[in-house]
Amino acid sequence: MGNFIRIGENLNVMSKILGPAMKERNPAPIQDMAKKETEKGVDYIDVNIGPARKGGDEMMAWLVKVIQDVTDTPLALDTTNMEAMEAGLKACKKGKALINSISLQTSRIEAGLKLAAKYEADCIALLWSDQGMPRDANERAMHIVDFMAKAAEIGVPNEKLWVDPIVSPISVEINQVKACVEFMSMLKDIAPGAKSTCGLSNISNGVQDNLRPWLNITYLIMLMKHGLYSAIVDSFDETLNDFINGKKDNIVRLIHRMMDGEKVDINSLSAEEAKYAKSVRVLAGESLFSNSWLDI
Amino acid sequence: MAFEAPKIDYTGKIKEITLGTGNKAVKVGGSTSYPFYLFEGQMPNPPRIAMEVFDFAPDDWAEAAVEPFKDVIGDPVAWAKKNIQEYGAEMIALQLRSIDPNGLNRSANEAAATAKRVIDAVDVPVILWGVANHEKDTEVLRLIAESCEGKNLALGPVEEEDYKQIGASAIAYKHTVIASSPIDINLAKQLNILLDNLGVPGNKIIVDPTTGALGYGLEYTYSVMERDRMAALTQEDEKLQYPLICNVGYEVWKTKEAKMKTGDDIKFGDSKKRGIIMECVTAMSLLLAGADILIMRHPESIKLIRKMITDLAS
Repeated sequence: MGNFIRIGENLNVMSKILGPAMKERNPAPIQDMAKKETEKGVDYIDVNIGPARKGGDEMMAWLVKVIQDVTDTPLALDTTNMEAMEAGLKACKKGKALINSISLQTSRIEAGLKLAAKYEADCIALLWSDQGMPRDANERAMHIVDFMAKAAEIGVPNEKLWVDPIVSPISVEINQVKACVEFMSMLKDIAPGAKSTCGLSNISNGVQDNLRPWLNITYLIMLMKHGLYSAIVDSFDETLNDFINGKKDNIVRLIHRMMDGEKVDINSLSAEEAKYAKSVRVLAGESLFSNSWLDI
Repeated sequence: MAFEAPKIDYTGKIKEITLGTGNKAVKVGGSTSYPFYLFEGQMPNPPRIAMEVFDFAPDDWAEAAVEPFKDVIGDPVAWAKKNIQEYGAEMIALQLRSIDPNGLNRSANEAAATAKRVIDAVDVPVILWGVANHEKDTEVLRLIAESCEGKNLALGPVEEEDYKQIGASAIAYKHTVIASSPIDINLAKQLNILLDNLGVPGNKIIVDPTTGALGYGLEYTYSVMERDRMAALTQEDEKLQYPLICNVGYEVWKTKEAKMKTGDDIKFGDSKKRGIIMECVTAMSLLLAGADILIMRHPESIKLIRKMITDLAS
């Protein structure tokens, strides 16, 4: 699991400290966060400025510069504003940045892929189409086929695509949670050479903060079983880091066994194992999720 | 090879719950298959209908809904009796609309006293339905629970914000709670867990998924109930194996379409027929989704739905 790529999600305009700092062009809190994420060993730092409709280009260029003054960690430029994206790509001095993201929408895909080609950048292929969120694994499969065709046309090879199947919260629609896992198991056959990623924390959106890591980590392991290449994650989730670094292989094996259909007796497990096992059950849709899923 | 119909592998059973006491007590639940799938399992207690009574004289009802009750509206005791004697009601659902702080805002004492008079005057089970204002519902339902100890009333809606208070009263005075969640299967399960942790006995919980009337979210309620029954019956989800109740009459008859008069819009046809059909379509859909108790309003709708239940359950 040593090769798994983590994209740190914490440098985000939604943060109550970093958002205002971005707007006021105050570098200290931003550089501080970038340094902390670097210390945690993330492979990419996501630089999320949101839609940034006005002045997004200047903001992104400035952010790239001040972050690269303090760290060599590659950046994932996270915005739907393609002008801001290009400004960020242009400003990158160290390493190549990852484009986060290009959706399949007619209004976005071409401009995004052209940037990827021009700057020889990898890009996250977000499977969000003109019809919105894909409804199941098959629609995701259809979308990635369309995406690859368009990318090939513009000269972006599969190897530069990081497919994001779009993770949605467990409390919203369990079939979507299952669909992402199913799609991951199909991806390498449909899109040879393509990489993959996802916004992992979204799985636990709406769940009590201190309980979210159980779902995040379990879902990550479930997706990784099917070859997930990277994920956008909380840089400071130590337990997650332990999993990535191979320190929790007993739990990983347990999750794999359950996914392979083994009926596990929860009562025979340690307290820690039991929590992961219960999380597998709700994420696999074997048991209906509720906020007390770990207690029953 | 002969054709073999696919069969669902049921592993769970809905709990049997009794409302009321004595020989007019009503038992619901107990199913071991999807609703009316009598070829796959048992439905020992077919769904039941509770007839609505308002605890004050409503002034905004559709004419068609007022007509059958016009001699008793404003007198909840007479209204309840009429429902039983004339329309054969097996249960009464007393809508405590008078306590609404945004409406009449009657005091808890006054509303509880009215409720007690109704409860004492009838021998069928009584469902008490508040206004989903947590403070006021708590205040009123606690008073009723205490003054009618042991009557095994159904108290609702009990929500995550007031389940402790109302749940504790229900335990102390031996009533049943109606666990209500906002059309969300995960929250429905969560509330059942919380009530269980509080100590409400398993045979004292009924689940209200929140009813959307025809044209007003019926399909959402339907989906949630469907999921609920699937988890309860095929995934052995003990936390969902409770009977379901739907507040149909109130939700249907408050809609614009049910209230429009004949001639307001020629396309909408006869007002009375329209309201009754809307109530029936909502009720019938929810029966197929798994409702065990329907709270209904119009005697004609009730007659039709009763017949449907008898036909489907025999």
